[in-house]
Amino acid sequence: MRVLAAGCVTLIALTTGAVAEQSPLARSEERLPCAHYDPLRRPFFGDTHVHTAFSFDAWGQGTLAGPRDAYRFARGEAIGMQPYDAEGRAQGQIQLRRPLDYAVVTDHSDLLGETQICQNEALPGYDSLVCRVVRHFPKLGYALVNGHVYSSEQPARYSFCGSGGTACLDAGRGPWREIQEAAEAYYDRSSACQLTTFVGYEWTGMPGGDNIHRNVIFRNAVAQAYPTTYIETPTPEGLWHALESECLAAGNGCDVIAIPHNSNVSNGRMFTATRSDGAPLTAADARTRARLETLVEVTQHKGDSECRAGAEDELCGYEKLSIARMMDMAGAGAAPADLPPLVYVREALGFGLVLEQRLGRGANPFRFGLIGATDTHLAAPGMVDEDSFRGHAAGTVSVRWGAPPYPDRPDFNPGGLGVLWAEENSRDALFDAMRRREAYGTSGPRITVRFFGGWTYPENLCGNPNFAAVGYAGGVPMGGELPPAPDMHRAPRLAVWALRDSGGGGAPSAPLQRIQIVKGWVEDGASRERVYEVAGDPASTASVDLATCTPGHGFEQLCRVWTDPDFDASAPAFYYARVVESPSCRWNTWACNAHRVDCRDPASVPRELAACCDASVPKAIQERAWTSPIWYAPAAASATH
Amino acid sequence: MSVRRAAWLLFAAFALTLPFPAVGPFGGFVPAVHHVVLLAATLAVAVAEGAAGPVPRILALFAVHAAVTLALTGLAAWLCARLLASRSPATRRTVVWAVCAALLAVSLAFELYETPFGRAPTANLLGVF
Repeated sequence: MRVLAAGCVTLIALTTGAVAEQSPLARSEERLPCAHYDPLRRPFFGDTHVHTAFSFDAWGQGTLAGPRDAYRFARGEAIGMQPYDAEGRAQGQIQLRRPLDYAVVTDHSDLLGETQICQNEALPGYDSLVCRVVRHFPKLGYALVNGHVYSSEQPARYSFCGSGGTACLDAGRGPWREIQEAAEAYYDRSSACQLTTFVGYEWTGMPGGDNIHRNVIFRNAVAQAYPTTYIETPTPEGLWHALESECLAAGNGCDVIAIPHNSNVSNGRMFTATRSDGAPLTAADARTRARLETLVEVTQHKGDSECRAGAEDELCGYEKLSIARMMDMAGAGAAPADLPPLVYVREALGFGLVLEQRLGRGANPFRFGLIGATDTHLAAPGMVDEDSFRGHAAGTVSVRWGAPPYPDRPDFNPGGLGVLWAEENSRDALFDAMRRREAYGTSGPRITVRFFGGWTYPENLCGNPNFAAVGYAGGVPMGGELPPAPDMHRAPRLAVWALRDSGGGGAPSAPLQRIQIVKGWVEDGASRERVYEVAGDPASTASVDLATCTPGHGFEQLCRVWTDPDFDASAPAFYYARVVESPSCRWNTWACNAHRVDCRDPASVPRELAACCDASVPKAIQERAWTSPIWYAPAAASATH
Repeated sequence: MSVRRAAWLLFAAFALTLPFPAVGPFGGFVPAVHHVVLLAATLAVAVAEGAAGPVPRILALFAVHAAVTLALTGLAAWLCARLLASRSPATRRTVVWAVCAALLAVSLAFELYETPFGRAPTANLLGVF
């Protein structure tokens, strides 16, 4: 049936061209149809993780830009940033070179009210000890309050919130309303479909300092009456229950997903085989999670979460933090070798297959598509360019007085983007893409990647101008599950095509170096993984000129139809593509070059730029994109489902 | 002025004005009394609201800084007072008050301090507190 449907889509595309007069999308909202509708889908670049002045930690870092500023920034307008003068005028300014297609403001649901109370003297609690400390010693307040609420196993409201936290919950209603109104105000409901915004928030659980945060994103303007908080609902199961009962089952058109992030500092608690109370995960638990958490953030400002450094995969050393827990950001943490299992997304994808074998078909709690985001705390969605990085104000580097010359912790980075394959730039189309996992993440560049899985793709598909049409007609796109094999002797064929980011607006860009396919499968009850080189030049010696940041040579585009040479029809598996650019300058190299740092003369290097001469900090990176996986389930398991 | 009184006065002036580097994730270059104030503020919040998450570690950090910097200022004051012990009380008084006045003047006139917890990156003595 799926093949038939895809065939119909292809036929429509061939007979009508790429633009349809009327969108066949099932809409959950009233809006004009987009003028540009493509049944074969287009990539839309955006950011699902954005903090503004409504987030306590962003405000504590001096951010005063709100949700409306964030959306103005997303659509390409300049906004102010710290420092601010006594009248509140921004002394700094930031602007995207290329506007985004979509953005989601995801302020912390926790402390929404406290943030208001501590800066509004008309609200009760303004004169509390905590608020006084916060105002007088902003960074101390930042550390104390974040730690008190976010890092506690049993979080509690401050006493100034009153009985049951009522005062703080009440004070949080205004920001929550403004978040929704800003999303509405900047959502382009015209046929131009320039910018799509979503209502969202971040549930900020960090028990014992282990990050288990989720970004919650609503399909349309219908959202929860109040965002779920870690303080009142301190477990992921509680969050999922709240999303089901207050949204999905509300019968008012509410629809929602949640996106886990920063598993790299979860200390292994993001992906567990147990519930929060220690009981084993049930099939129902796993299905609930798979239904609500269709995507995972594979990369962002606070490091990469794809795979474990030191494993056989040499490219896993990319943007790794050397700490296991979010709370250790302020000091030295565990060395990578000490990290517990199931910290990284690839490990979770493999373990999900193992769990599904134990719990039953469809009970894979870690069936994640992959996206990237920034986690900016400057209200600056999509600010990912390495050459103009100003920090994202989410770490221990203070930006209250403006971005310092060396703008962030050496192991942080500008973050990534999420890319959604959708028919048009509207909420329903993009949300559907998130739900079906037809999405991928990039470390910042606007690399375009198509990835299809099937059984019968022709070898010459790469030269076919109807690559996408054939891809949909003969299989599934990224995020899907392979259809049953036509016979027992076939191995999956994966068609992957990537186009480099051409830059634009003056943004630096680099050519592609190679495409890899990462396979995970189950063998003897344990997960295994292997990386295959499928296109490009893995042996490339092209490097970047660190003095001028001119990247080496590479490819404009790469394509391959690849057949799994080690396929075992009895083993559940997943495949995802990783597209790697030629080396380019990392943000610190751009910053150090801009300040003409000469490490040959240490006495000339200002103290605030000393990290420029730290040999342990990488000077170059290989930017990349990660597609969502395509899963394979053995026929017997499919039959029992 | 007695030697003991000279030592106490110098200790107060040094603790209030001499900047010490802050070790650890936050950095800074502030007087010993500022470390005491940070310790007191954190302790007050911890006592009133509980010490969850990293609060105990922050408390320990400030306590160590406060203890070490106060000990160093105390030692410096004691050494200076010993140096002045052979002088007449009048001379001692003149020197001690001159040192205190000079330290206060310099610390008020210049932004000597780096204050990561404050409302500006650098500050003079008033800005620190």
